[in-house]
Amino acid sequence: MDVMYYGDTLIVDLPTGKTEQVEFSPEMLTENGPGLAAGIALYRDHEDGDPLVFGSGLLTGTTAPASSLGFVLGKSPLSGELAVSPLSLFSGAEMKLSGFSMVVIKGDSPKPVYLWLHDGVADVLDAAELWGLDTWGTTDAVRSEMGEQLVQVVSIGPAGESPSKLSAYSINYWGSGDTAALGARMGGKKLKAVALRGLGMLDAEEPQDFYEGAKGLLSEAPAWKGFNKACEGIDAGDIDGWLKPLVHRYRSCFACPAACNTFVKYNEGPSVMESTGVEEPGMLVTGAASAAWLLSGGWKAEPACRAMESMARAGIDLIRGARELAGSPLDDASETEEAVGGLSGGEEAGWPGGDSSPKGLFGPWVPPLADEDEWLLANRIGYVIGICPTYLLASGMETSGLFGLCSSAAGVELDPSMVAGMFS
Amino acid sequence: MQGRSRRAAGDPVFDRYRKVFSEGSTLYPRIAVYTGSGASHSWIWFADIFDRLGLFDVRFIDESSVRDTGLSGFDAFFIGGGDTYEMAFSLGEDGARAIEGFVRDGGFYFGSCAGAYLVLSGVDLEPFTHFNLIDGAMLNSMAAPPEPRCLEHKYKSAYGDGWVFHPVYGEVTVTGQHRAIGQCVNAPLFGGPVIGRAMPEDVLAEYSRLTERAAYLWPRREAEEFMIGRAAVLRSELDGGTVVVSGPHLEHPLYTAANALAAEVLTEHFKGRSGRVSRPSRSAASNSDTAPLLLEIKRQVSNARIVGFGLEKMPVAWRLGHKVWEPEKIRMFLECAWERLPFMEEHAELMGPSGGGLEPLARGYADVTRISKSLKMRIESGRDSQAEASMLLLSLKELTARFLSIYFRLRLETGFGRD
Ligand code: SF4
Repeated sequence: MDVMYYGDTLIVDLPTGKTEQVEFSPEMLTENGPGLAAGIALYRDHEDGDPLVFGSGLLTGTTAPASSLGFVLGKSPLSGELAVSPLSLFSGAEMKLSGFSMVVIKGDSPKPVYLWLHDGVADVLDAAELWGLDTWGTTDAVRSEMGEQLVQVVSIGPAGESPSKLSAYSINYWGSGDTAALGARMGGKKLKAVALRGLGMLDAEEPQDFYEGAKGLLSEAPAWKGFNKACEGIDAGDIDGWLKPLVHRYRSCFACPAACNTFVKYNEGPSVMESTGVEEPGMLVTGAASAAWLLSGGWKAEPACRAMESMARAGIDLIRGARELAGSPLDDASETEEAVGGLSGGEEAGWPGGDSSPKGLFGPWVPPLADEDEWLLANRIGYVIGICPTYLLASGMETSGLFGLCSSAAGVELDPSMVAGMFS
Repeated sequence: MQGRSRRAAGDPVFDRYRKVFSEGSTLYPRIAVYTGSGASHSWIWFADIFDRLGLFDVRFIDESSVRDTGLSGFDAFFIGGGDTYEMAFSLGEDGARAIEGFVRDGGFYFGSCAGAYLVLSGVDLEPFTHFNLIDGAMLNSMAAPPEPRCLEHKYKSAYGDGWVFHPVYGEVTVTGQHRAIGQCVNAPLFGGPVIGRAMPEDVLAEYSRLTERAAYLWPRREAEEFMIGRAAVLRSELDGGTVVVSGPHLEHPLYTAANALAAEVLTEHFKGRSGRVSRPSRSAASNSDTAPLLLEIKRQVSNARIVGFGLEKMPVAWRLGHKVWEPEKIRMFLECAWERLPFMEEHAELMGPSGGGLEPLARGYADVTRISKSLKMRIESGRDSQAEASMLLLSLKELTARFLSIYFRLRLETGFGRD
């Protein structure tokens, strides 16, 4: 049975710097379920090593709509409970294609290291020169070392190194939906980054059926730009209108028909298309919640975006950071860095207009677009099959078509109740 | 590409030839593939076709081997694409004599593209004059060819006082009477000859159609008028040997019917012949160094192909001799090793002390990674990259030949060849 994963499970023992590859068998999936369900089983198997588990869903990295989602799983320093945070943008797909089905990172390293996972090869590399760099510097340094800009770098900044409970890992330069401070767990492990790249291919069990199924879903998949569609019905404000004067372009995560992520320019004109030599023209805003907090607090877009950049660079959770900053808007862009430096981490993650996000395994990265049960099911399905839950909720896409793809891709039969059962 | 190639490799058409070569009535040939000066990347496609045919007694040799050993001990000699001038110059008169002697002695010569130009008789120009194994002249040469509509860098190369030119670049259809061709066979033409003045009985296939999957450097109708009906594949007997030349790359891994045509002429030559059955003895004790060395090779090949993928997005090409090389060629060499690494890992214990030559390979691929990164930085910073690219491509060619030699030796040892 082709299970839509290739490569072994990688066990990284940070205290010794050694790695071991163990077979990722189809039974792993039949007994536990794919994606996050398999990740949780692996976490339990290695719980004594206080692991972080990196993994991806069944359809992650395929042509299924919004098949961008991977995950990081570990014990949250905030709650002491098991928590999952997303690998979005292109990092989930690269996780899938790294040549490792799942990665279990155990124990703490005696010195700073980073993991380079490529085509089924795992290298534990010295990170002495990266330690102390912010996430932007780290991403640049790792990509330069590997000689390729498409390497996905999941890294921590100074906040994770300290390790501050306000920290979050960042996906490349742009922050992440890590609201469980798993970045602090990386810091505690002296794990500066996990870099991912693979040139392999996924084989569907029934390629023609899969192709036709994915094509059919894509042809009907709703598309949009910006954040407003993914925040409909919640009190997030007009984020797109607020950012509009700075917008340069919109960007999708891997295989997503929508393009929430919004690149804003504030160090040069947003309409400038050609490269003008300005080194850092702006940033990619990837989180609706952080933008919504700053908007609700009366921030102007430019200083707000600069504040988000500072948080992303430092490796601070953008949602909690923005919530704390929301109450004291700054007009002067030059003051934002200092304000970010003074964050205490006293706020909980959530959305403005009533914190309706349930506590537990999933953080509030996915907007509360439905009642609690539906929201929880979308998260569970999303992380099991690798489809962005925000897309599931905002698009209203029927999950039956996606489950059909699981069948033609890997011969895995799923339905919502089976997925719910994996978490019982 | 990987998936299509893998699917093509599993085509049942190859079962028949594997069976033929594994039975006693057809000689299981020892094969030499030319990888020396002037050879581009396309010889690696021969490795693919030999894998498909179950022919594992394969060596990769350069011009000095050809000159020094006269191809003795080999039954078949394959030359693929590249820079014909550089090949002819490097092989020289001694090499030409060695090849001719090899064929007259009963050897099988297969030349595609540059390997075809090399041995056509109708050339009166140094350094080609010593190489004439088969009657035929290249028609695609003239003093002043018209300007191309596209792909200028692929269009022509100097030839005496004039130019060799290519009106079409990509897939063509060839038709002939041979039973392996059936109705027709598609194959890619990447600068190979359009052949005239051949002996009619030597013509195995003619150009019969130019397809949509080709770039037209001439207007399509003019290209068709020029090419259709002209010889594409020739076969001739020379004393006891056989010479096959093909303009299109019959060995290209995505063209199984073309592969089958090449396989057919190969089996026809060796059918009923007897000779040495080569089967090296198994390597001595297994070696615990082998697995780490293979892992190091895997690591470096992976690193280099990741950089190579990045290089493919850059608008750059390099000229080595008369040949233009695009960045894609870097990954083609690397993929050739990458696809075969799992087999080597599986049989690591048979590789003998020091992994049977793996250590220099590991060092070589580490150098390739380093040079690839430095090449990329050079291009990104707008500096000239020609010298570094030449060094990289040449060392990749040499490493790939060494890698494949070890791979095929291991293949042969594991008993997949003829017993
Ligand atoms: S809906 Fe938005 S966050 Fe989700 S995958 Fe698409 S672009 Fe990314």
